[in-house]
Amino acid sequence: MPFVKRDTAIPSAAALSADEFAAHIAALGSRDPEARWRGARALAGRAEAVAPLAVALGVEANSRVREAIITALMRIGNAASVVALVPYLRSQDAGQRAAAIEALQALPREISPFLTALLADGDSDVRILATELARNLPAAEATRLLCGLLSVEAHPNVCAAAIDVLAEVGTDDAIPVLEQCGRRFASTPFLPFAAAKAIALISGEG
Amino acid sequence: MALPGTQGPRAVQVTREEVERFCDFLYRRTGMSFTEGKRYYIDRRLAERIAATGSTSFQSYFAILRSDAHDEIERVVNAFTVNETYFYREDHQLRCMTSNLLDEVIRGKRTGEPIRIWSIPCSTGEEPYSIAMWLMENWKQVDQYDIEIVGSDIDTRALDTATNGVYGDRSLMRLSRDLIDRYFAPAPPDGHRIDAGLRNSIRFTRANLIEVKDMAHYRDFDIVFCRNVLIYFDDSSRRIAAENLYDCLRPGGYICLGHSETMSRISPLFQVCRFSDAIVYQRPEVDHGQL
Repeated sequence: MPFVKRDTAIPSAAALSADEFAAHIAALGSRDPEARWRGARALAGRAEAVAPLAVALGVEANSRVREAIITALMRIGNAASVVALVPYLRSQDAGQRAAAIEALQALPREISPFLTALLADGDSDVRILATELARNLPAAEATRLLCGLLSVEAHPNVCAAAIDVLAEVGTDDAIPVLEQCGRRFASTPFLPFAAAKAIALISGEG
Repeated sequence: MALPGTQGPRAVQVTREEVERFCDFLYRRTGMSFTEGKRYYIDRRLAERIAATGSTSFQSYFAILRSDAHDEIERVVNAFTVNETYFYREDHQLRCMTSNLLDEVIRGKRTGEPIRIWSIPCSTGEEPYSIAMWLMENWKQVDQYDIEIVGSDIDTRALDTATNGVYGDRSLMRLSRDLIDRYFAPAPPDGHRIDAGLRNSIRFTRANLIEVKDMAHYRDFDIVFCRNVLIYFDDSSRRIAAENLYDCLRPGGYICLGHSETMSRISPLFQVCRFSDAIVYQRPEVDHGQL
């Protein structure tokens, strides 16, 4: 038989010691991307590592390591990790923005308290990304937040993004707000069309 | 809520918040994510563990769980894992292994270097034994290489079954009579025991896919079969698992997922490889720092 078997003993996993923790934090600043990758991976789920992970995310050039840092922050998944990730919604780097969105979407309960402010942000690009973050919230909460945005939003692209999310997760409460939005943007044909389509989907007629 | 099937004259009362607390603990330890939609599944198994430990309240049971008294964490993991599988399941991937993947793998091998294949989670062993049988039956070069097959799972009870190697008719439903006759012996009263040579050739170990330190002991695999488990994880656990698997593979190594799973929606770490029999994922040969 061609099969070989090695009986290497496999010790069970143990928690990180203080020294190991410090070593992994230090590794985040290494010149070697493999060391940074290992450091970030070892810190996943360690709440006290949020600040150094956030700093590392801001300067990390290797996308594989960046993925690991994002995963570590997702795994920690507390308000501090949300605070660390939110600034990347403003990044000029599309990869960083996409990574932040992906991570924050996985933390609906933790991002929820930040959404009102994000949906009112002065930067329309941030408001558009914030509508995406509402997608994974409970339907009633997503509807409330996005309807609040839609009723005052002046930027058609932000409205379009909110309507797109409402079409998927919105409740009946969104229908009057969508109708009003369609009327308000009558001169921008796409929006009345999108609003009508969303209403049809929410009503079960789409 | 009163949990059914608990000991004593009165069922143990467990609140929704307590179930959430329990699920959060389970998630943190295993990556298994159970939502409200699986409430019946959770309630039933939680009730079984509360009864089995003789706990009189959720609080007393949770204290046992958190302190891991009498290996309760392992027992609860065993209760919550799904071990339904069978021999030659999704055999198009086995065909892909012998038609395409191994040709690529041996191209980079030095003389005498073994081929390493990992089945995780291996459940009760049907998959790693299937890999071995498939290789014996379908790969002409099987005798020219040392082949190491490892089967790992988080469920130690399943691993005991795998090591024992006795299966019922249901597990063998995809195998021909000829294969059954050649690789199994009757195991009274109504089982089939896999050939001792195969039983002794495969190493079975406990491993937790989302535990970074746990997985650090597994390295340099050429092919990993990781099928139908990521669907039980939430986004962050899937990403952790993907990163762990990346580290467990040799550069250029392959990973086979279940038919309803796709790595593309989990992590950009891997390259998609389309072969005639299956789509698999490959750890890039070189890390260019750009995904």
